[in-house]
Amino acid sequence: MPASQSAPYDSAAPADAERLQWALRSVDALPRRRDQLLPALLVAQHALGWLPRAAIEHAAAHIRVPVSEVYATATGYSELLLERPTPGTWHVCTGVSCDLAGGRALLDAVSEALPGHALEIDCQFLCALAPVAVDDAERLHGRVTPSRILDAATERAST
Amino acid sequence: MIGPTPTQALRRLHDALGAPPGEVEVHVLRHRGTCGDAVDAAAITLDVGAPVADAACDGACWAAPAATVVRPGHRHRFARLDRGVPDELAACVRGECDEPQAGSGEAGLTVRLGRNDGSLTDVLTRGGYGAYAVAAMLQPARILEVLRGVGLTGRGGAHFPVATKWGLLAAHEHPEKVLVVNAEEGEPGVFKDRHLLEGDPHRLVEGMLIACRATGIHEAYVYINGQARNGRDAFERALADAAAAGILDGTAFGGDPVTIEVRSGAGGYVCGEESVILNSIEGERPVPRFKPPFATDSGLWGRPTLINNAETLCAVTTIFDSPPPPTKLLPLSGDVPRPGLYEVPVDGNMTWASVLAMAGVAPARVQALLLGGPSGRFVLPEEFDTPLEMRTLGAGGTVVLGPRADIAAITRSLAAYNARESCGECTPCREGTQRLVQLLADPATNRDRIDALIEVMTEASLCALGGMAGRHVTSALAAFPDAFEVTDPTEASR
Repeated sequence: MPASQSAPYDSAAPADAERLQWALRSVDALPRRRDQLLPALLVAQHALGWLPRAAIEHAAAHIRVPVSEVYATATGYSELLLERPTPGTWHVCTGVSCDLAGGRALLDAVSEALPGHALEIDCQFLCALAPVAVDDAERLHGRVTPSRILDAATERAST
Repeated sequence: MIGPTPTQALRRLHDALGAPPGEVEVHVLRHRGTCGDAVDAAAITLDVGAPVADAACDGACWAAPAATVVRPGHRHRFARLDRGVPDELAACVRGECDEPQAGSGEAGLTVRLGRNDGSLTDVLTRGGYGAYAVAAMLQPARILEVLRGVGLTGRGGAHFPVATKWGLLAAHEHPEKVLVVNAEEGEPGVFKDRHLLEGDPHRLVEGMLIACRATGIHEAYVYINGQARNGRDAFERALADAAAAGILDGTAFGGDPVTIEVRSGAGGYVCGEESVILNSIEGERPVPRFKPPFATDSGLWGRPTLINNAETLCAVTTIFDSPPPPTKLLPLSGDVPRPGLYEVPVDGNMTWASVLAMAGVAPARVQALLLGGPSGRFVLPEEFDTPLEMRTLGAGGTVVLGPRADIAAITRSLAAYNARESCGECTPCREGTQRLVQLLADPATNRDRIDALIEVMTEASLCALGGMAGRHVTSALAAFPDAFEVTDPTEASR
C-alpha cells in the first residue's frame, strides 16, 4: 500500500503531516526484508515520537507483512509507543534503587505539582544516580529532586 | 613465521594512526557519558590551565559530575564538581599534589573506562587489540585450548564454559554461521554493558574478533538495549574507526574479514533472553523459542549461532594475560555512599564484606543485598564473609538494602514487574506471574499455594523470565517470614 492511501496522521496539523512524510521516507530507505521490521518501527518512532496507525500500516506495506503482525510485534516492546505521549510529561523511575532513594515520593510530588504530567516508569539503568526521572525529550536526569523538575517545567512554560 | 608478529602489526597500526609516542601530557578528563550527562557534567567549567577532553564514566558513578587530572604516571579523580570545583584540582594540574591514583585497577575489563578520549589511537596506546593481534596469528584450535585452560565462563548469568560453546560452533562447517552479542542488558539494577560500550567499545570489538577467529565466523550482530543510546553511538564510532584502520577486514592483523552489524532493542526484560534476541533480529514477535534445537545448532535464520554476553566477550580480551584476571563486574546501587560499577576479583578471597567496604558501607548497616533483581535472591549478612563464587553472581546487579528497606514492598514490586514483563508466550509465566502477585497479598495464608505455583513456573516456563520469576519470593519468604503483612483481604482470599 503506497503512503498516500494511509490514514492521515493528523490532518489538522500541517507540521504533523510533514513529519509523517519524513517518517515514511525513513522507513522506505530500509531494505524490504522481514528483519528490518523493528528498525522500521524504530526509525518511524524516532521521527514522530510515537507510532500512529499510518506509520504501522506503512511499515507493514514496506516490509510486506500483515498489519496485524506488525501490531503483534510492536506491542511486544515497552519502548514502542502506540499512543501519542503528552508533551511535558515526566517519567519517574520506581525501580528498587530509585524507590530506596525516594523515587515514589518524587513521583507523588511531581504528580501533585504537575497533574497529568507524571508517570511511573521501570528501571532506567542509571541506578547509581537514583532517583532518576526522564523528561519528554527522553533525557535522563539523575539525583532528581521535585524542585529540579518543577524548575524545568517552569522554564519550559516560559519559552 | 608468515606475516607480521603481533608487536609488529600493532606498531605498524600505531604508526599509521600517528599515535603519540612517549608519555601523555598533563590534561583533564571531564567524565561525561550517560552518568555525567544525567547530572549536567557538561555545564561544569574547568578553566584550570590544562587541555580538557571529554571521557566516559570511569565506573565511579557516585562521583558524577567528576573530572580526572592526568599527569605522566599520575591520575587523580575529583568528585561531585556540582558542589564546586576545588582549588586542589588546579593545584594537581600544576603538579602540587601527591594523591594516589584514582579509579579502577591496572588490569581487567574496566582498566580503560573513562581514561581516554575514546579514539582508536588512545586505545592502542593502552593495550587495545593486543590480544587480537596474538589471536589472529594462532590457529583457531589453539585459541580454544588457551580459553579452555583459562576456564572462562559466561558473564551474562548462566555461567556456561565459553570454550565449550565456542567449540560447538567451531565444529560446525556451515558457511554462514553467525555471532550474536547480547548487549540488551534489560535486567533492572544492571548497568555494566552500558559502561563497557560507552567507555571501552573497542574492547568488545576485539573480543568479537577473537570469537570469530576461534570459531570460523564471518558475520556478527550486536543487539544493544534501545535505551543505551550513548553506548550504541560509542560502539558504532569504534566500529567505523576499526574498519577504517583495517582491523575488521584482516588488513591490520591478518585473520579473516568479519562484518559487524548493530541492532537496537526496544525495551522488555524478556528481550535479554537469547532466543528472544534471535526472534527480534529476524523481525518476529519478541518471544522465546522452544529449546532444543539450541542456538549453537539452529539459531539466527536457522544457522548455527554463537550468542555471548557483551561482558563475556570483553573478558575474552584478557585470556592471554598472565594470569588473566578472574573478575566480575558488579553494578552496585541502593543504600550505599559510593554506588557504581565495581570490577571485583572472584579469586576465592573476595567477599561481600570487602565489596561493601569498597562502596563505603559497613556490613552492620546492611539488612540484605538484592542480587539479580526480579530474577534474583536476597543475600543475608551471614553470607557476607563467604568468598564470592562466579556461579552465584548472575549478571551481577546488586542493590544494597539498608535497615529501613521494606523487604515485603520490594518483593511485591518485583513480582508485579515480572507480571508486567511476561511476554505471554507460555502459560506458567503468563498466568503464574499474575497469580503470584495476588497470592503475595497474604503470603502466610497462601504459603503452600505460593510454593506450588513457583514450582510449576520454575519447571514449566519456556524461558528464564518465568523460570526464575518466583526466586526472589522464595528467598524473601525464607529469610524474612515476618516482613509480610496482609495488604488487601479481598485479594488474599481469592
